[in-house]
Amino acid sequence: MRVLVVEDHARLAATVATVLRREGMAVDVAYDGREALDRAAVTTYDVVVLDRDLPGVHGDDVCRSLVSAGSRSGVLMLTAAGTLDDRVQGLEIGADDYLSKPFHLVELVARIRALARRSGPALPPVLVHGDLELDSARRVVTRGEQPIALSPKEFAVLELLLGARGTVVSTEQILERAWDDATDPFTNTVRMTVSRLRAKLGDPPVVETVSPVGYRIGGSS
Amino acid sequence: MSAAAAVVSLAGRMRRPQTTVRWRLALLYGALFLFSGAVLLTVTYVLVEHAATATPPRTFVSRLPPTQRLSSAGGAPVFGGVVRTKRSSVLAQLPPRVVQALRSTAGQYAIRFVGDTQRLSDLHQLIVESSVALAIMAIISAGLGWLVAGRVLRPLRTMTAATQQISEANLHERLALGGPRDELRQLADTIDGLLARLEAAFEAQRRFVANASHELRTPLTAARALLEMVITDPRATVDTFRATCRQVLEESEEQEQLIDSLLTLARSERGIDGREAVDLAAATDAAVRSRRAEAAERGLELHAGLTPAPLWGDRRLVERLIVNLLDNALRHNIAAGHVHVTVAAAADGATLRVVNTGTPVPADEIDRLLAPFQRLAPDRTGSRQGFGLGLSIVAAIAAAHGAALDVRPGSQGGLDVRVQFPSAPALGAGAGTGLRERAAGEERAQRPGLAAHAQRAVGADLQAGPHGDVDRPVLPAGDPPDRPLDVAGDVERAPQQS
Repeated sequence: MRVLVVEDHARLAATVATVLRREGMAVDVAYDGREALDRAAVTTYDVVVLDRDLPGVHGDDVCRSLVSAGSRSGVLMLTAAGTLDDRVQGLEIGADDYLSKPFHLVELVARIRALARRSGPALPPVLVHGDLELDSARRVVTRGEQPIALSPKEFAVLELLLGARGTVVSTEQILERAWDDATDPFTNTVRMTVSRLRAKLGDPPVVETVSPVGYRIGGSS
Repeated sequence: MSAAAAVVSLAGRMRRPQTTVRWRLALLYGALFLFSGAVLLTVTYVLVEHAATATPPRTFVSRLPPTQRLSSAGGAPVFGGVVRTKRSSVLAQLPPRVVQALRSTAGQYAIRFVGDTQRLSDLHQLIVESSVALAIMAIISAGLGWLVAGRVLRPLRTMTAATQQISEANLHERLALGGPRDELRQLADTIDGLLARLEAAFEAQRRFVANASHELRTPLTAARALLEMVITDPRATVDTFRATCRQVLEESEEQEQLIDSLLTLARSERGIDGREAVDLAAATDAAVRSRRAEAAERGLELHAGLTPAPLWGDRRLVERLIVNLLDNALRHNIAAGHVHVTVAAAADGATLRVVNTGTPVPADEIDRLLAPFQRLAPDRTGSRQGFGLGLSIVAAIAAAHGAALDVRPGSQGGLDVRVQFPSAPALGAGAGTGLRERAAGEERAQRPGLAAHAQRAVGADLQAGPHGDVDRPVLPAGDPPDRPLDVAGDVERAPQQS
């Protein structure tokens, strides 16, 4: 899941990004409206967490631009002004959700997940493939009732593959959805993660390599 | 209960107050018409009567038939009919021949003043009929007056209704009265102007509150997020806890500074509590000394050219103004840049000028920078430089002191800020408490939004074009030391004179 955090308070942005990364999301940070628009023009984000009071281009204008550009990203607006009028106005501009400061990080994460589910094709919170189950809300993966401990990146890759329902997911797509801009796109990090994932999931194998395009879920279904 | 009823009835009366004015005008029209009609009638009556008495009435003397002749006693004439009743004085006006005839043949003649009685009865009838007509016309004119008054007052009713509809929520609405450019239109336009100013003030206030809440809540959110992050981190160590705590501490320090700045802004907006003689040069010197280390740390040259320049003001606020300008100049500077601080004294007051190098500031951005919570667009690192309150505090303090604030882009990027305090003697004359408070009140009244006073001054100066000396780097002022001392003497004397 690819998330853009737009927040001019550097420390808050960094903290939110850290927590979201820990939750297995690929997070980019923009510190003002113009940078946010630049980033959104290059990358398709599942969710944009948008602070409303931004220097440069105001958060409202960023939201309007995103919506008018036909972006499919869910926009979660963060604001200090939590009055009813503000919330209504924010939603009218085109925001999909609204959270007023100060907020709980747990709630922020849950709302981002909910938005991401809606921004793509509709997916159930629990993805199932044979005896393999992935609960995206509780961040738990089980195979045959046995819990499997996955790293955030492995979890994100598995979530992507399960969400594609057997269709091929290219390496580029995986890189874009599960890794943020901090990653060097030429490393074989995707291949490494997938092989670790295969080892953890055990037999029979569920992740197939479709050479040279990418990967898909297959096998025991 | 009775109070509530009184309020309700008062509200009822307030809802339709135009009726009384309308009725009053109608009655006034009627009364005026009646009055002028009555005056006209009286004048006509007097004139006609005067004409009747000025020309002698035509007299008809006829010899009575013998059967009707009256006997006379002593040759005095006997008059009959109307003559006796109304016009005994008429005898004197009769031609002597007739009188002679009357005297000699007493009782044998009847005299009738036909013209006079005719005119009198005509006049009487005229008065009666005219009065009736006048009364009717007075009623009609009152009715017409009622209609006309209603028509004339209609825009007023429209305006009242529209104004009653306007509240804090729909301040953007205007009366926009059409029609001829008359007094009512003028009134409507005046109300529209007032609404526009109110809207601007409300908007500024709303923005200020929104900004303040953003600035206060964001660090709170950051502190909370930091704590939540470390608490929910399963791999957190003592070191991560320590690092997080340090960050939270820094956040809370920032919050303290912000609250301090907000309080200073509020205090300087409120006006000045007490003035005292402050040497601008000494205060600037202290501020420059306190910032020397920071300037060296940032690799900046800090030059100061100070001439004693007394002013009459609030010491703490003046110091804050200097420090804010200095911090601004140091923070928004470039590598190996410089800051020039000059204090000069002239007959028209003390002047502080702070010029710094820095990234170029567009001239049209300057008005925005003076408003609270406005900063230049940050660099891409997301490092925040202050809260954007520094310059608005400077503007508020300058306004509270009646000083002219002039902010313009510096010739080498950055800003060129000039604060011209009013001359000390002029302030000393207003040192009486009442005068001072009134002056402060006027300053506040002239400032609909924060820092608007200063913005006006800036706008005016920018329109006038840049100073000729902007291009010259600021050098320590070479004023002879005796001139500022003269001014200082004035300051000392001024309060005693007043």
